[in-house]
Amino acid sequence: MKRGDMQQELVQLGNGAHALATHTLGNREDAADAVHDAFAIALKRPEAFDSSKGTLKTWFLCVVRNRCIDQMRRRRQGETSLDKLVDPGAGPDQALETAQRDQALGRALAQLGNEQRQVIVLRDYMDLSYAEIAVVLDIAPGTVMSRLHRARMALKEELNCHGE
Amino acid sequence: MANDTKYLDQHVGELLSGLVDGELTQQDRQRVLLHCEQCPVCSQNLAELQALRVRIGKARLSTIGEDTWRETMNDSMVQTSKGVGWILLIIGLAMALAAALHVFFFSPDMSLWEKFMVFAIYGGLAVLLFSVLRQRFIERKTDKYKDVEI
Repeated sequence: MKRGDMQQELVQLGNGAHALATHTLGNREDAADAVHDAFAIALKRPEAFDSSKGTLKTWFLCVVRNRCIDQMRRRRQGETSLDKLVDPGAGPDQALETAQRDQALGRALAQLGNEQRQVIVLRDYMDLSYAEIAVVLDIAPGTVMSRLHRARMALKEELNCHGE
Repeated sequence: MANDTKYLDQHVGELLSGLVDGELTQQDRQRVLLHCEQCPVCSQNLAELQALRVRIGKARLSTIGEDTWRETMNDSMVQTSKGVGWILLIIGLAMALAAALHVFFFSPDMSLWEKFMVFAIYGGLAVLLFSVLRQRFIERKTDKYKDVEI
């Protein structure tokens, strides 16, 4: 894959990768660093991506997740703080009501465990298939459905608790 | 009839998520749909899971724009090229230094004492510079207040 094509595709994956990193690290700033590092790694060695083994999306998300694991090992901080996890507010083209709904969703997600947040982000936000999720999270394909279902039920419960 | 009772007794659980995601086999899909027709609890769960999936899909879990990522990516490339530049510069300087030292030590125009004197002056300066840089480097790595803005 040409470097320019890869760059273009990676730009589109930025937000999804940032969401995954945020819900892995529990902190938006650290997540942005992890995505930044992942971009650098991917663009430094674009030949490391083998299209016969999977999509660029899956490969890049694996790189992002590995960067997150490295960061967690280095910093040894697994705690999740609400204000560092939920996006701060509406974008310029986003209605206030929608922004508040998204923030409520972010707060509910923050109450879940890392593994549950990751699987929800990968499936419902990034639209990965179960097979792709298994590759990114390095788990057995058969585990994805049960983990995802538990995560969704927990999220539904959290949202119901807060009248959402 | 017995089968119908069995459907009601056993909720389909995680298969509901599989149905929402279109990841079930034809057989499981039919089984879950049939169960949901008869079970109000699972039917409601299915509707809620579908709504939840749509809501998350539309949500902005990250509001960083593509332009920012493009800039970040360019930064990464600049950092990489800077790294390559530094490596080339250091290699060039090291080679030039080695050549200069070779000429200096093997020059017949200077006595051994003169060579030693010049070497001591420049060697001393180099050692001092190295120790200051090392100290600065250690401080930079270990200073826990380095990110504090005053």
